[in-house]
Amino acid sequence: MSNKIKIFTNGLYKENAIFYQLLGMCPTLAVTTSAINGLGMGLATTAVLVLSNVVIALLRNFIPNKIRIPSFIVVIATFVTIIGMVMEGFIPVLYANLGIFIPLIVVNCLILGRAESFAYNNGVFDSFLDGLGMGLGFAIALTILGSVREILGAGSIFGVSLFSANFQPVLMMILPPGAFLALGILMAINNKYKSSRV
Amino acid sequence: MKEIMNLGLKLLLISLIAALSLGFVNAITEDKIAEQRALANERARKAVSPEADTFNEIDISKLNDDLVVEGFEAIQEDLVVGYVFKTIPKGYGGSLEVIVGIDKSGTISGVRIGSHTETPGLGAKATEESFYSQYENMSANQEIGVSKTQKSDTEIQAISGATITSEAVTKGVNSAIKAFEAYVQ
Repeated sequence: MSNKIKIFTNGLYKENAIFYQLLGMCPTLAVTTSAINGLGMGLATTAVLVLSNVVIALLRNFIPNKIRIPSFIVVIATFVTIIGMVMEGFIPVLYANLGIFIPLIVVNCLILGRAESFAYNNGVFDSFLDGLGMGLGFAIALTILGSVREILGAGSIFGVSLFSANFQPVLMMILPPGAFLALGILMAINNKYKSSRV
Repeated sequence: MKEIMNLGLKLLLISLIAALSLGFVNAITEDKIAEQRALANERARKAVSPEADTFNEIDISKLNDDLVVEGFEAIQEDLVVGYVFKTIPKGYGGSLEVIVGIDKSGTISGVRIGSHTETPGLGAKATEESFYSQYENMSANQEIGVSKTQKSDTEIQAISGATITSEAVTKGVNSAIKAFEAYVQ
């Protein structure tokens, strides 16, 4: 049992997709202009990651080693498209907020990375836990990054203004350079914290 | 040779199942999605022309304006009370949809921004009420201008740091004004 918990918590912090593995950088840098965008992208990615991990773990004995990458891509792209269509048709409110992130998930190497390094070699339940842990860790990290950028760059968090009208936001933080700066500084703080604990 | 056949067949099988499930889901959701998109458009038209209860699509080919993509008569109890035009001016990050409502007396009854790819935090502020509500109640007798400092009767105040987006939206509104004139006369 403790082994299962370990698989789940692994992605939350210890091997966090963003701060530790540096996976899925394109969506990370591109969409974290606000806390809500980060959370939305994170949750949409989690849904796809859990589903694709489970299916790939199910098919792992069927898929030959030599064609595993194209097989993974087909499975992932199929799920992303299905989730997008179902969401737009049946949950339009959610689609209005998350819709723009869905097509971006196909190119998220985190999903391919977990399929390759975990789901292809492990059982269905373990892969499910791994997908959930990695996905939530990704969502938390994106939300933190989005919050930092939104607070500094727009003076608000989750759309709620924090300061008086006199506050002059650092616009650059919500523009592309701000993504690199915020990510670099957060990683530096995290590494400092980690090294001080050893 | 045998191995290649085996690999090819398995990949074919995986792709086949993927294609079939996509086709299946598409068949279920296709109508629903079209319905949702129509509803969203209807809501946008309703927002810019609140008096109307139905909208009647009109032929816009005679306008010869590439920016205007859709035109509607706003109808309230069988009477035309105004017009709604959808325009697609070029913003900073590509085309943006500007939906403009003008009532029969020549006053702008509302402006909304549909899908767009403007910069979040800058140009994307055009979708906020504080920006688009500036156009409301402006006269459609003359072109609307963009001021960097303050709003007046004929000018809107640009979003700071996003002059290009502000000018693009205004360009869309001005195209709608021209289209309106063409239909009223």
